[in-house]
This record gives sequence, structure tokens and C-alpha cells, in this order.
Amino acid sequence: MITGGAFQGKTEYMKKRFSLSDDEIADGGSCDISGLAKSRFIKHYELAVKRMMSETIDPLGFTEGLDCEAIEINEIGCGIIPLDKSEREWREMTGRAGCILARKAAEVVRVCCGIPTFIKGEKH
Amino acid sequence: MLTFITGGAKCGKSRLAEKLLDGFTDNKYYIATMRPFGEEAFAAIERHRKIRAGKGFETIEKYTDLYELELPGKPHILLECMANLCANEMFRGKELRDPTDIIMQGTEHLKSRAETLVIVTNNVGSDGINYAPETMRYIEVMGRINALIAGISDNVIECVYGIPVILKGKL
Repeated sequence: MITGGAFQGKTEYMKKRFSLSDDEIADGGSCDISGLAKSRFIKHYELAVKRMMSETIDPLGFTEGLDCEAIEINEIGCGIIPLDKSEREWREMTGRAGCILARKAAEVVRVCCGIPTFIKGEKH
Repeated sequence: MLTFITGGAKCGKSRLAEKLLDGFTDNKYYIATMRPFGEEAFAAIERHRKIRAGKGFETIEKYTDLYELELPGKPHILLECMANLCANEMFRGKELRDPTDIIMQGTEHLKSRAETLVIVTNNVGSDGINYAPETMRYIEVMGRINALIAGISDNVIECVYGIPVILKGKL
């Protein structure tokens, strides 16, 4: 699992670590949800959570069932609680889905300013 | 012993905080600072209550003026959460007021009396959005208060999607 704030170098890290090109990584913001379940590499899972919520798919059940090699999810839960209810619900659901991913993951890497820090796993 | 736990929304802060007090059964208090407002707040309170049930906490609702709290003996205290307390103190009158002193006074007060004090806060400064001036002021004050409390804490933990990252001391 790779996480961190927006534009910190998470995707670059994933590409380098697993020798991937852009088209080998499924984008949670655009890939259809059933396709995502079969993907080995996923980015922007936070956007997939948002789309599942609008398609009335349970993001937590889906996340429990996911079996991929590496997944990237933005950290979006820091900051002021959004005024908009659906934004609040998305933020909370992403937090819970991220906790499931982190529990299942062998390694969790947090990327900040391009620097990866292992917060779970062997290279800690 | 003061342990300070920060992190974003739904990152597992409360679960971790409660776990730290699992070993204690007596004289164990949960200080709730959130003024309930609206159905989401009640749902959140209900969820937290269920998680806490059977863990031996006595719940005290205290929305402002922490320094007034007197608890018997050497209690084990979980305070949740600093971000709500800060908003309550800051926006309690007609004019915005700087809550730093009253919050630090309250925190020192609890720290000096408690055997174990765990404080949960919130990281509100990392979404990169530029808000209205009052909100920016709140973010600034929260940043300062978090840094001050971290300074007097034995342990500082940041929770990231359920994973505790130790920033100071130990877990």
C-alpha cells in the first residue's frame, strides 16, 4: 500500500519500485469498478471509493475482497471537516477503506515530498 | 504519562487511544468535548460509545474550561478531542478569542492529576485548501496548540490509516 498527500510522488514511486509504465496501473478515477477488482496495480483508490458510493457498491466489502500487488490511495482525511455532507461521507469512507487496506497490506509506504517512509513492513 | 495522538479523519485514533488504556479497569474516564449538533454527531457519538462499551470508562461531557475538572485519586483519562475543544473555546462568545492559554491551562491541570492521560487531536492543516479568515485562524491556532501539547507530551503518535507512527517517545 502506498499513501501520502496529493502530488507527493506516490505514482512515481510505484512505477519505479515495480518497473511499471503508466498504462499498467488502473486509475480509480476512471477504470470501471469490476475492472478494478482484477487489476494488479491501482492508483487513486480514494476516487474509486467515491465512485462506488455513487454506484451504491459497498466500498468496505469491496476493499476487503481486493487482491492486488500494489495500491495507491491519497490521504484525504486531514484538514477541516467539509461542509458538504457527501464530501464528509467520502472522506470518512476513504479513511475506513484505507484502514482495511493497511491491515491487509504486508507493507505500507507513505510518500512525502518524494521520500518514501515505511510505516509497516520489512523495510521499516 | 501523557500520550498525544494525532491524525486525520477516521484513521483509527480513538481505537488506538482506547487500547492504550485497556490495562486499566478502575478510575478510568472518557472526557468528551464534542458538543452534539445534528444527526451525524449523534451517530458518531453512538459509534464511539459502542466501541467503548464494556471497557470500563466513565464518560464526562466537558465542552469548555477543562481546568475546572476535579477527578478523584490518580485517574486514567482519555480526552477526545482537542480539535472540538479548541473550536468550542474559540467560538464561544461573539468575538473570536485565542483559546491557547485556557486550553494549555486545562491540559496541564489534567496532566498533573492523571496517572495516565491520553489526548486525541486532529490534523486539520493538511488539505491545502484556503478557507475563510476565521477558519484559517482556527487552523493556525490548532497547529500551535498541537505543537505545544506535543512539547509537554511523553509520547506523540500519528495515526495513518490505522498504523501508529511514533513521532516522539514510544508506544
